[in-house]
Amino acid sequence: MIGRIWAIALNTFREAARIRVLYGILVLVLGSNLLAVFVGELSQREADRFARDIGLAGISMFGSLTAIFLGVFLLYTEVQRRTIHAIVCKPISRWEFVVGKFAGMAVVLSVLVGVFAVAMLGMLVWQHTGVSAGVAKAVVLSWLEVITVAAIAIFFSSFSTPFLSGIFALGMWVIGRLTPDLEAATRAAAPWIRITTRVALEIVPDVHLFAVSGRTLDGTAVSVHGDFVPWSYVALAAAHGVGWTVALVAFAALLFHRRDFV
Amino acid sequence: MTAGRLALSSGCLADLAIDVHDLRKTYRTPFARKKVEALRGVTFHVERGHIFGFVGPNGAGKTTTIRTLMGLIRPSGGTARLLGHPVASRAARSRIGFLPESPYFYDYLTVGELCDLAGRLFGMPRAARRRRADELIDKVGLGGARGLPLKKFSKGMLQRAGLAQALMNDPELVVLDEPMSGLDPIGRKEVRDLILELRDQRKTVFFSTHILSDVEAITDRVAIIARGELQAHGTPGELVSQRLQGVDVVVRLPASAPEGDAGLAGGASRVRRVGDELSLTLPADADVDAWIARAHAAGAQVLQVAPRHETLEDLFVRRVAPPAPGDAAAGEAAAP
Repeated sequence: MIGRIWAIALNTFREAARIRVLYGILVLVLGSNLLAVFVGELSQREADRFARDIGLAGISMFGSLTAIFLGVFLLYTEVQRRTIHAIVCKPISRWEFVVGKFAGMAVVLSVLVGVFAVAMLGMLVWQHTGVSAGVAKAVVLSWLEVITVAAIAIFFSSFSTPFLSGIFALGMWVIGRLTPDLEAATRAAAPWIRITTRVALEIVPDVHLFAVSGRTLDGTAVSVHGDFVPWSYVALAAAHGVGWTVALVAFAALLFHRRDFV
Repeated sequence: MTAGRLALSSGCLADLAIDVHDLRKTYRTPFARKKVEALRGVTFHVERGHIFGFVGPNGAGKTTTIRTLMGLIRPSGGTARLLGHPVASRAARSRIGFLPESPYFYDYLTVGELCDLAGRLFGMPRAARRRRADELIDKVGLGGARGLPLKKFSKGMLQRAGLAQALMNDPELVVLDEPMSGLDPIGRKEVRDLILELRDQRKTVFFSTHILSDVEAITDRVAIIARGELQAHGTPGELVSQRLQGVDVVVRLPASAPEGDAGLAGGASRVRRVGDELSLTLPADADVDAWIARAHAAGAQVLQVAPRHETLEDLFVRRVAPPAPGDAAAGEAAAP
């Protein structure tokens, strides 16, 4: 089983690693890091703050958008281009195929997040700014966010077109990110609006848990520039992300299991 | 043997590479919920070690049958077994090789990586995968294209790459959906030779095609499918009628002969004159000796006289032609 999943994951990684647009995204992120240094130099005392903010935002934003871009095509293209025909006739279960595809994409995204993080850390070292535990935690949280968003994208990709999957996945990511703001905005609203919002938010992964810097947790402001969350928080967020990821990939596998490949 | 419900002629289930019974597939359109019956109770079997040709016009149900056998489509009814196991079972799928119709593979992979992927899915060890991939890539004539990504392959090259990946596990049963499609005459001959070589290795080959000459040349048994139903099933010799259909004659007319058939074509069909050569087909009941005497009397030289029997193409056209309106027997499978 592991061998078959690994075969699909390796194949997915090989395919994705040769997509030129990924290198474009890589250049974009490295460029944004350089921009952060340049803007930081202008503001003199805020240089390290800029490098951290833009570096982490780059990981989260570009990482999640890449996850959506790759994820929405992942299963759809296999069916549409019929590449799957020569695969599922071999002794591999359809769920193994879906898990392998997701694992391969997760490895690609992890490498991408790793490169983004190394680029950001390089900038911080260049500016003689120490790399704090807060930054490390923030990178781990961003990585969890990217993987969770990838699971959202692959879920939609199992039954929908890339365009619709992209809209749905982007919508879920944005809503998940804005959950605290939406809750606050509807607190004084009519009960039906509050209930509808609550229900909508419950069926969306809480990706805001992964972008916690600048928010207030239990009455305490947390910031990657100062007091950040403890590792126990990171572990809880990881459990949330892993739970959603497993559920979404399982649903994708279930939907894929029932499909005819005509 | 009737085509609608073909009983097993010999052997037990264990001797069958493919055993399909009353296979049905009905699609429903997403919104109108309109039913489309792609397969309407298809029944046939393929014995081990045979080359089996599966022919039919476009939309007949060939590819639906093959995709159902390969586990890509779930049947609406009926059963299908491969090598004695249900089609969806790992036991069946680990012993078969499949070349899809107009195969598409991963653009950025090389043919070696494609074969390696197939080998990994069959659980082959690394050394065996490499050895087998090298051997097959050379066998299908892609040795010079090892470093190229598949997106740069022509249709014929993709077909060859597909054959290589289908044979990675040294399968007992090879299923090929339109394997000659997109190949030039040399490529077609190579695929035919490969199929015959597989039979020599005691493999079973099941392939679909439109090219009836290939079917006649290499198959042990043939099934014709049209409108989702099996129309005929048997050896090519069993299927085509041995009754005389006519006599093909070719004569050389004298230089002095006027344009036209020189009065020799009365009652004949397929009359064709090229230069001084006249070819035609006499009816089956024609007095051939009398006609030859008449040709000699007209100064013609008889070059060829050959009895004409039904070909697979004649049978194919006869069986798959749409039924005439009001034909009570329309849609019913008939015995060959």
